[in-house]
Amino acid sequence: MKKLTYLLLLLSSIIHAQSKGILITNATAHIGNGQVIENSLIGIKDGKITLVADATTAKLDKSAYEEIIDASGKHVYPGMIAPNSTLGLTEIDAVRATNDFREVGATLPNIRSLIAFNTDSKIIPTVRTNGVLLAQVTPRGGLVSGTSSIMMLDGWNWEDAAYKIDDGIHINWPRIQSRKYLDDDNIYPGPYEKNKNYNNQANELKKLFSDAKAYNETESKEEKNLRFEAMKGLFNGSQTLFIHVNNVKEIIEAVNFAKTNSISKISLVGGKDSWMVTDLLKANNVSVVVSRVHDLPDRPEDDVDMPFKLPSLLQKEGILFCLNNEGDMEAMGTRNLPFMAGTAAAYGLSKEEALTAVTLNAAKILGIDKITGSIETGKDANLFISTGDALDMRGNNIEKAFLKGSSIDLNNDQKVLYEKYKKKYGMK
Amino acid sequence: MKKLCIYLFSLIISSCLNAQETFPVNGTANKNHTVYAFSNARIIVDPETTIENGTLIIKDGLITAVGSKIMIPKGAVMIDLKGKSIYPGLIDAYTNYGMPELKKATAWGPQMESNIKGAYGWNAAIKTETDAFRIFNDDSKAAEELRKMGFGTVLSFQKDGIARGTAAVVSLSNGRENQLVLKDKAAAMYSFDKGTSVQDYPSSLMGAIALLRQTYLDADWYKKDKSKKEYNISLEAFNNLQSLPQIFETTDKLNIMRADKIGDEFKVNYIIKGSGNEYQRLDEIKATGCKLIIPLNFPIPYDVEDAYDAYNISLTELKHWEMAPANALALEKNQIPFAITTADLKDKKDFWKNLRKAIGFGLSEKQALKALTTIPAELLNISDKVGSLKAGMLANFIITSGNLFDEKNIIYENWIQGTAYKITDFNAIDVRGSYDFSYGPDRKLLQLKIEGEPEKLKSTLFVDTAKIPVNTVVSGNSITLTFNPKEVQGTVRLSGNIDKDPLVMKGKGQLPDGTWITWSAHYISPFTENAKKDTAKKQSFTYGEVFYPFCAYGQKADDRSGFDKVVNDFKNRYNALLIKHVTVWTNEKEGILKNQDVYITDGKIVRIADDINASTLAFAKVIDGTGKHLTAGIIDEHSHIALISVNEGTQASSAEVRMGDVINSDDISIYRSLAGGVTSAQLLHGSANPIGGQSAMIKLRWGKSPEQMKFEGADGFIKFALGENVKQSNWGDINTVRFPQSRMGVEQVYYDYFTRAKEYDAKQKSIAGSKSASVFRRDLELEAIAEILNKKRFITCHSYVQSEVNMLMHVSDSMNFPVNTFTHILEGYKVADKMRAHNIGASTFSDWWAYKVEVKDAIPYNAALLTNMGVLTAINSDDAEMQRRLNQEAAKTIKYGGLSEEEALKTVTLNPAKLLHIDNKVGSIKVGKEADVVLWSDNPLSVYAKAEKTIIDGQIYYDIEQDLKLRQEIQTERARIIQKMLEEKKNGGPTQKPVMKKQQLFDCDSMQEDYLSE
Repeated sequence: MKKLTYLLLLLSSIIHAQSKGILITNATAHIGNGQVIENSLIGIKDGKITLVADATTAKLDKSAYEEIIDASGKHVYPGMIAPNSTLGLTEIDAVRATNDFREVGATLPNIRSLIAFNTDSKIIPTVRTNGVLLAQVTPRGGLVSGTSSIMMLDGWNWEDAAYKIDDGIHINWPRIQSRKYLDDDNIYPGPYEKNKNYNNQANELKKLFSDAKAYNETESKEEKNLRFEAMKGLFNGSQTLFIHVNNVKEIIEAVNFAKTNSISKISLVGGKDSWMVTDLLKANNVSVVVSRVHDLPDRPEDDVDMPFKLPSLLQKEGILFCLNNEGDMEAMGTRNLPFMAGTAAAYGLSKEEALTAVTLNAAKILGIDKITGSIETGKDANLFISTGDALDMRGNNIEKAFLKGSSIDLNNDQKVLYEKYKKKYGMK
Repeated sequence: MKKLCIYLFSLIISSCLNAQETFPVNGTANKNHTVYAFSNARIIVDPETTIENGTLIIKDGLITAVGSKIMIPKGAVMIDLKGKSIYPGLIDAYTNYGMPELKKATAWGPQMESNIKGAYGWNAAIKTETDAFRIFNDDSKAAEELRKMGFGTVLSFQKDGIARGTAAVVSLSNGRENQLVLKDKAAAMYSFDKGTSVQDYPSSLMGAIALLRQTYLDADWYKKDKSKKEYNISLEAFNNLQSLPQIFETTDKLNIMRADKIGDEFKVNYIIKGSGNEYQRLDEIKATGCKLIIPLNFPIPYDVEDAYDAYNISLTELKHWEMAPANALALEKNQIPFAITTADLKDKKDFWKNLRKAIGFGLSEKQALKALTTIPAELLNISDKVGSLKAGMLANFIITSGNLFDEKNIIYENWIQGTAYKITDFNAIDVRGSYDFSYGPDRKLLQLKIEGEPEKLKSTLFVDTAKIPVNTVVSGNSITLTFNPKEVQGTVRLSGNIDKDPLVMKGKGQLPDGTWITWSAHYISPFTENAKKDTAKKQSFTYGEVFYPFCAYGQKADDRSGFDKVVNDFKNRYNALLIKHVTVWTNEKEGILKNQDVYITDGKIVRIADDINASTLAFAKVIDGTGKHLTAGIIDEHSHIALISVNEGTQASSAEVRMGDVINSDDISIYRSLAGGVTSAQLLHGSANPIGGQSAMIKLRWGKSPEQMKFEGADGFIKFALGENVKQSNWGDINTVRFPQSRMGVEQVYYDYFTRAKEYDAKQKSIAGSKSASVFRRDLELEAIAEILNKKRFITCHSYVQSEVNMLMHVSDSMNFPVNTFTHILEGYKVADKMRAHNIGASTFSDWWAYKVEVKDAIPYNAALLTNMGVLTAINSDDAEMQRRLNQEAAKTIKYGGLSEEEALKTVTLNPAKLLHIDNKVGSIKVGKEADVVLWSDNPLSVYAKAEKTIIDGQIYYDIEQDLKLRQEIQTERARIIQKMLEEKKNGGPTQKPVMKKQQLFDCDSMQEDYLSE
């Protein structure tokens, strides 16, 4: 019986790209760039957004669309984007066999997350149900964790789901202060201590980057080096360097490191102290993938609302930033990304700025803003309809979602269990 | 202080320690009964009595007479101490002097039982059989260090274990131990630290406390039960040392209260070894009535030159640096008796420097002297032997140049049991001063100035306008001067003799060319000290106020003295709040009421009405609630904030441990949760074992002491746990020893314990009041479980999958006890019908899943499904971060399963109150209930809502505007102390590198905590 349910699920979950036109009418459209159209018309054709207009002023030929969705009183949003995510690389945290986000070794730029992305993860459907439609799937660990790719949260297989392949390389800047864990599984943290290996680790990174740069500038290579090859995009501007770093002194070091290696696209991941060095970030055009909003301040004297308001501190300084959910239970918690944006809105951002932080800003930082991140004509039709305010738990109720114009299945195992037991108890 | 560091090596000039009577003599006997008479001294007999120009007479290691007009027996060795002082030898009541070094074995894997062989008790941390006097060895190097500081007597013990056995009073003299042990069993020693024991239990502070508690009970039973079912060395020894002074070591001010609480239970008034931060909780410490032994372990300043690095130092650390030297003063001001110890000093050489610093902060010299003499003597019941200078007492005294506490004081000699230990030679001639000086063939009159410290002289020869440095060495009565004259190349070397009265130095020497010459120097004026020596004096002895708790966002105490007290009393009596025009979520049948006025006074909700006239309510603080929402305070059914440790998971059951013993009122999480509208939390034991510890229910009364935070009159609860954590599934392959390792075993744990508890309870009840009741062995573990059977304690059970939930319901049916709450209960929806039938509530996560196998079927619709099935359901956090957003978590029940907004809010207010049996007091806004309410900026379930005021007992504990002020105050206070630290560094003081101390956050799985570090 269970097997049958799964089969049905699989069949229903993936729908081929369509060519017929879809028109969404009368919704409040949250464009993603700060704009709102109260009574909107949104046209979709061949996977692209072909029309974004104000219904009160625009003239419209409804016959050009085969499907018209009346979304009166509802809201349309661009699909949210989860950067720096382990979605599809893990299934159950405590079961090692299900974890595919960490490889052995310190400097592994050639490790690619794309390969291990499991489109059949049971977690993914629960995430897209809340409006998160794209994720930058990212390896973890070491000094250079590897290469991320941006994936659609719907697809038959990883090739099919790939949205932008090998978009960036992720490095973990060494900690000036490191902490010893009190147990073997690195769960229970002890006090911070000075990291005696800091210089060695920083030098290892510096050497790797200067060697890789030189290698990629050499025309005839004696022997092929897979690691150096993997870093080519960093030096020609086609890939972004994501530096995972939080402490202010480490941020300063890391930004200078990237500059020295003439890397043009730099983004910090975490950046808990980034508000202290906004001038440096601005001068070097560095964006920030902000550490989890639903987190506690690091220091007891930090402002009580520190992680909540970090996005607004960066917004005020004109730093490009987006939100992410790295940390405990991060994959399954990705579905709370909209509510983190909501919290950021409670602590200083406007609601539309908060939406931008999980849509267009994320697209810009990931280098996909030309094709997605907002509801604008010419972009991929990655969007969803919610009956209410998608950033609020009370309003986030996604009725329809589209990836490249295809309506995606919004069912998931949790809903199936819910229905099953409602039925058991004779509830409606 | 240098005077003390650079000392003449101790020299035993005579030995009064007679060869022991029982020992054979090799050679001829050397009996010695010399009488020593110290005359013309200022004798400080005790801190209250000083004899000017007095005489002290000693013989055979004892004082025979002290006074101003004393006949000196003929044949006495006369020692003239004109201008000098005699103090009683100092006593350190907390040392490990002469104790063997401790070795801690490394443990591989679980060790359930004690590995100590013999008829000892079950737990290796109870080392009552240790007697310091049996293992004490003379340690001349360590003794010398203490003697240099003026100590003559110490209490010494083996610092190992929770019950550490007895300590001995020993002399710091050198010689046979037979002469050095002054009192064999002087005190019984305790701590919360299990020391070298590698036995698993206890792994937590509450485990250590529980072990001590049970040991008291066991020892009592052992004493009374004459049938002696077992012989037990540990209990036998424990009973034997009860009549001694009982000394308890603590590592934090809160531990003083914890120790005192144990003492109260077993009618013991401990002497507490403090940690130096007692000033942070003076009122509570005073209330314990305990006498203290305190260290002078003042932190050195941090290197705060780098602003980013300095950012890593907490306000607590900054303030403690500033206030630690004022600790002794604070105790003195509050009339808390204390002795001072050299313990905990990283470098013992800092002792006098730090003591003088404490005096600089205001500690009286008299109190300081008491703390080093009479008080420790009284604490250890050795006032008849040491601590003051009276006939018949030990000849333990120190000879000083003047006031012992003066910075320039020199300790010349330390006499112990009649034996002199020379530290600085007081016969040395002080040659410092100005001289008429001449040398060589022409004997031209020059000026010579000798300055510096007696051990490190600095001299200058003035030749016309030139200043020539002169190397000067004095040894006894001879002097050597060497210098390079201006006119010739090479060094002039002069040696000579010093004559006192008048001070004249003269002799012979050689010019660089080898010519022998004569020289002389005639004293003309004394040495005057340079003003710059006073930098130490400039050191500021000011400090900020104590915050409660002692960290950022702590609050200053109200000034309770004088006029302010009257004002405060007045304010308290009329303490009232009136919240106007607010939307009230009553959680009662009235539902949500718009535009209401709520009047709160005396900690209670007194009136809710359309319009309450503020002007008729004198002294009420009026709060405009227009556009805002008022709800009952959030209650977290499952929390681990504000705890020192969480799990005592070393055994399948730890029912005897109490979370109420380890409440940490200093946890910043309390304030952060207040900022999220939380007013109460149930602090639970972890989920490491099927039967965990007893819960503590608290209100988040930030700033109050652990005891004051407890929720008055709340029912007792106990944590149970099922599944992966209790069978240690995710703890690695090493943890496969402790029973149970499967869900099958978990069931049997319950049957076993409940069977035993039933039998225990029946027996206890049957003998109650009878004679045999006194010989009944009380078992606190089984008593806690019996309380469940007697419906006096209630279960909240960590649970996930339906099979195990079903199992516990079966056990409860057949053993006849109720299960109150299944907590976490992520598969509760699968057994909702059964839970409802058993009338068991649920406390669950809103949307957690997939972190381990047992939560793969968890669904976010769980809470709504359970609610709709009629199961009383709450949303909990188990997480310090989520706790402050529980309103958001509650709102998810609207999204997942469609609860109404009112129902959703109840999942974090009224429903947990019901689960915890406190709904008659809190959980809704109803006249007569306790005023634990929150004023929200918006609909409380909105993601955009912020708690603006969090009110407990009608008092505002968090205020969003006050919070901004506190932030500013924190910054100002930090800046002030940082400037002071920078100043210290500029003045050349030592500093330490700032390293961030991150606090530990606990969840159910938290196991290995270093519970003794703050």
